[in-house]
Amino acid sequence: MSNRAIFSLVSLLMVCALLLVNSQFQARRLFIELERSQLRQKELETEWSQLQLDQSMLAKHARVDSLARTSLGMSSPGAGKTQYLTVGAK
Amino acid sequence: MRAPSRKAAARGVAFAASPVLAVRLPAWRSRVALFLLFAAFVALAARAFWLQAVSTEFLQKKGASRYARTLDLPAVRGKILDRNGEVMATSLPVKAIWAVPDSVNTPPEKLQRLAQLLDISSQELKKKLESDSNFVYLKRQVEIEAVDQVLALDIPGIHTKPEYKRFYPAGQVAAHVLGFTSVEDKGQEGMELAQQSTLGGITGSRRVIRDNLGRVVDDIALLREPQDGRDLTLSIDSKIQYIAFTHLQQAIEKNKAKAGGIVVLDVKTGEVLALANMPTYNPNSRVGLTGAQLRNRVFTDTYEPGSTLKPFTVALALEKGLVTPNSILDTPNKLTIGPSTIGDSHPHAAALSVSQIIQQSSNVGTVRMAQKLEPRQMWDMFSSVGFGQPPRVGFPGAVAGRMRPYKTWRPIEQATMSYGHGISVSLIQVARSYMIFARNGEMIPLSFQKVSQLPAPQRVISDKTAHQMRDMMELVVGPGGTAPLAQVRGYRVAGKTGTAHKLENGHYVNKYVASFVGLAPASDPRIIIAVMIDEPGAGKHFGGLVAAPLFASVAASTLSSLNVPPDASVSNVIMPAQPIAESM
Repeated sequence: MSNRAIFSLVSLLMVCALLLVNSQFQARRLFIELERSQLRQKELETEWSQLQLDQSMLAKHARVDSLARTSLGMSSPGAGKTQYLTVGAK
Repeated sequence: MRAPSRKAAARGVAFAASPVLAVRLPAWRSRVALFLLFAAFVALAARAFWLQAVSTEFLQKKGASRYARTLDLPAVRGKILDRNGEVMATSLPVKAIWAVPDSVNTPPEKLQRLAQLLDISSQELKKKLESDSNFVYLKRQVEIEAVDQVLALDIPGIHTKPEYKRFYPAGQVAAHVLGFTSVEDKGQEGMELAQQSTLGGITGSRRVIRDNLGRVVDDIALLREPQDGRDLTLSIDSKIQYIAFTHLQQAIEKNKAKAGGIVVLDVKTGEVLALANMPTYNPNSRVGLTGAQLRNRVFTDTYEPGSTLKPFTVALALEKGLVTPNSILDTPNKLTIGPSTIGDSHPHAAALSVSQIIQQSSNVGTVRMAQKLEPRQMWDMFSSVGFGQPPRVGFPGAVAGRMRPYKTWRPIEQATMSYGHGISVSLIQVARSYMIFARNGEMIPLSFQKVSQLPAPQRVISDKTAHQMRDMMELVVGPGGTAPLAQVRGYRVAGKTGTAHKLENGHYVNKYVASFVGLAPASDPRIIIAVMIDEPGAGKHFGGLVAAPLFASVAASTLSSLNVPPDASVSNVIMPAQPIAESM
């Protein structure tokens, strides 16, 4: 084989090797990004659970009941004050 | 550069004339040197072979351990939701704070601050840090805000570990239904324990490559996929649960009772809508918990139900055609069976109709009917409504109660059993047994989870008998009955009171269990409510005075919360001057 052929093959090899290094680097970079996104997903899930819990805490019947009775001065109407409507009746 | 060096060489001694070369050395020395060099190469080759071929695996493993790590993938425990999707229990990430005691070396004021943040005493913290071990938990399940403050103190040797903590927004209101979990996130009580296998997640793990900054840069393998626990939707309606709990709490305080329980069932589906016990506890902070607080009385306490069992004896007599609601029976105030005498606690007419016997809760009248029945028939009736066997609702600790085999019944035992003595049941069993009256003679299984497919019912008594019994039990809450206080404005209700002496060490003592089981609306029942008040201590102890008002208030709120249309006018409540005391 001529020297020229050998030289071009060697340089091709070198280029390939560098490309490999580059793609490996890219893969790792993307992977880290994926990791970060998954972490963010977990965080958001946790936050959602937390918000759901907060909602439950705030909408707790004990709290609503005491707020309605004390600060809003409400009381439950009872059967005597309730008008029942039947669906479809005129 | 060449010229000077040549010059230098020229100035020195000629190479061939160097005196060093003139020294004659023995030939073996060069051979030894050659051999040593050769041997060194052989040693290197052997070593290389050893490393490359023989111990490769070991070395690769060692190498991998420098960059590869196995990470745990935590799984989250499933949430518990009520029937409307409201969160009743959820897990949130918190941290455990641990220390390597030897590395903690910091001024005392910082430690003081740490103890403060962890909410433990300085002595306790000091004791923990003086431990000999390499790993000591300072506090587990610390919420994230506190953890951040602890880490901001920047004390060497203090580390954190992620874990989960369970939160129960309803607190003590639903404590006995939900139960709680341990610090290891395992169910300990209630539904948390019963449904551990579906609620609990399975931790996964994976192998990764980490770079020098500790970032994960590559996945090697997913060893096990993490599996989050499945969410659990209960049959409980948190609004009705709140209604039941607060009214029970008030009734217990008002009657100065030792304990109590209440259960609300959906007649159409067999779902448990609410279940509460007193005394209770707060599942979010369980410090100094006592057994009495933990006890789920509705399931685990059996008591002699007393008169709440009479309707079954009467229904059986009706079903067998032995009596009709209008049959008149002789009812003396005392009745002697063998060596024993039974009686009623209030005077009544010498002859009562079957309806009046239920209405006024006469022991003698009930026994009169039981005497016409075979022990076996009664036993069959009691077992087919679920007495003597644990209810299959998937709840831990549910007891069977005690019902002896009918072959061993003596006449007096058959007589007392007909009015609910000499037999023991739990409140949930009594509540469920009233299904036969509420569902026109059918029995259905109970469920603690939201029912999507209705279970197949089982007929126990005829439609006609069930209607007759319901009419009689409506009389109980009427002006001439034992429980006028159970009346609800706008709704017809039916029910039966019970008052029983408690058994202590095999003897009846002057302590009582007052109970009431009722269904509403009587025209087309939607709910069954069973209440039990243990040892009322404020002077009153009859079921009609202690338990019936609790039934009425819970029924009124529950029916309106379920949007059940009224089946009576709002002026239906009629209070007699003096309700009838029932028999025990």
